[in-house]
Amino acid sequence: MKLTEDEIRKITLSAIEELGDKATPDNVKSIVKKAVESFDSSPSDIKMNESSGRAILTSFGLNKPGIVASITKAISQCQCDIYDLSQKIMGDFFTMIMVVDLTNSPSDLKTVQEELAKVAEELKIKIYLQHEDVFRFMHRI
Amino acid sequence: MPYEFDEILETIRMTEVEHFDIRTVTLGISLRDCHDRNIEVTKQKIYDKIMKYGKNHVKYAREIEAKYGISIANKRISITPVSIPFDPFHAEEFIEIAKILDKAAEEIGIDYLAGYSALVQKGMTNGERELIQSIPYALASTKRVCSSVNIASTKAGINMDAILMMAEAIKKTAELTKDRDSIGCAKLVVFANAVEDNPFVAGAFHGISEPEVTLNVGISGPGVVLDAIKEAGYCNTQGLAEVIKKTIFKITRAGELIGRKVAEKHGVPFGIVDVSLAPTPAEGDSIADILMAMGLEDVGGPGTTAALAMLNDSVKKAGLMASGVVGGMSGAFIPVSEDMGMIRAVENGNLTIEKLEAMTAVCSVGLDMIAVPGDTTASTIAGIIADEAAIGVINDKTTAVRIIPAYGKKEGESVDYGGLLGKAPIMSVKRISCEKFIGRGGRIPAPMRSLTN
Repeated sequence: MKLTEDEIRKITLSAIEELGDKATPDNVKSIVKKAVESFDSSPSDIKMNESSGRAILTSFGLNKPGIVASITKAISQCQCDIYDLSQKIMGDFFTMIMVVDLTNSPSDLKTVQEELAKVAEELKIKIYLQHEDVFRFMHRI
Repeated sequence: MPYEFDEILETIRMTEVEHFDIRTVTLGISLRDCHDRNIEVTKQKIYDKIMKYGKNHVKYAREIEAKYGISIANKRISITPVSIPFDPFHAEEFIEIAKILDKAAEEIGIDYLAGYSALVQKGMTNGERELIQSIPYALASTKRVCSSVNIASTKAGINMDAILMMAEAIKKTAELTKDRDSIGCAKLVVFANAVEDNPFVAGAFHGISEPEVTLNVGISGPGVVLDAIKEAGYCNTQGLAEVIKKTIFKITRAGELIGRKVAEKHGVPFGIVDVSLAPTPAEGDSIADILMAMGLEDVGGPGTTAALAMLNDSVKKAGLMASGVVGGMSGAFIPVSEDMGMIRAVENGNLTIEKLEAMTAVCSVGLDMIAVPGDTTASTIAGIIADEAAIGVINDKTTAVRIIPAYGKKEGESVDYGGLLGKAPIMSVKRISCEKFIGRGGRIPAPMRSLTN
């Protein structure tokens, strides 16, 4: 989690305000540095506050052996956790919906999407990976 | 599973099959601190300011698109109405400003930048007069700049002098851009009761009560509503209103999420969600098709106004429930050239300007993207604008006219811009003169707000 310039400026301003008359360039600098470091060392906490680190994976296409294996392999290589899984065969079609947790994964959503795009191309199926928030906003008040 | 199978499939279907997209994320930037006596310094200030806030606009929007799997059709920028901060300048200098705006838009990688505007509902300053005179030349010498002028409001009345000036500006713009089917007119909107936070180009501008910079979002999704109505099958109109509301609710929620996330990335305050049904020339992304799915044989026949009124009202109700910050136009748009169903209805002879005018009394905006014969006189165009403004002023709503007197073309022909602007068949206009009425000039007084019969 990297702080933006604006956020750092806000931290600095509130530090100066709290210090009042005692504010000197040196002690403000050390306080801000400490604050920024503490943010850096607890990345998962901040992610949780923002929104969940989960994403919904939807895949469908003509059924063939090895689809689940290929998808789960790609996901585990990205060190993502599978939270929930539901899979159905409808006629010749394969459908699967997964809730994937990316919180402890070193790769971001985009990287995982790119990995899955490779799998989708190989198996000639569709795979969508979307952040959970869009489902939460649309279907939960 | 935290979500039902059906809910997940519904979202996927909306985003992947039914063309649900965010129509626009528009970054509003104030240019009020960019004036300098020296035009060169002014230009530099404008360029720097727009680049400062806007340079990552497209990049951020793309990142959010990938993250949530919802596409954002347009990334755009609106600015303070140019006539306000740069009032002391003359027409030639305003054209220079338009060119620098065009350059900034190109640099950022956006298709349109809007706000080459003036607000003259009550009267005109010298700068505003100069700006209006410069509009045809500015639009002819740029690709990405859009212009709008507000000529009437419920509080001030209708400025007839400004209407005539705008009608002449529209004619001149058509002439100057005749080699491209008078495309300049597609970037020029005449408003009554213009809103300050509209994210939809060409009529967008960053109003004078807006903050330094803000991000507004316009949702879309006629395709989603169309499919929901088809799926609902036969039900009474109350049931139909319910179906529309449920669908709009969901897409508004998604729209707000996307808008907030883009604003967060920019580090700028989030403005409003404009809950509008905006068509595109893509098949199935049409307001006309929705009205037909509701039970009309074609758009333009009896029943059209009532169906549109219900659609528009349901859109607003659902939007207000779904988002705390609804603003802008918020309703259904009926731009003829951008809607395959509307084009078809005009070509079949079922939809006329007069019926469109009635429709604008109950829906968002007004006579939008309408092509008329090139020999239509300025006073007739002024009459059309005045009629539309009257509907807006009396009913306390926004109305607008975006009309294209296609230079050198006649009824039966069409203008074709391709892309989002689409194709407009040239419609017939009554040749009864209103020249003496328009020629009187002056201002129609503001209307009374009681005894509303």
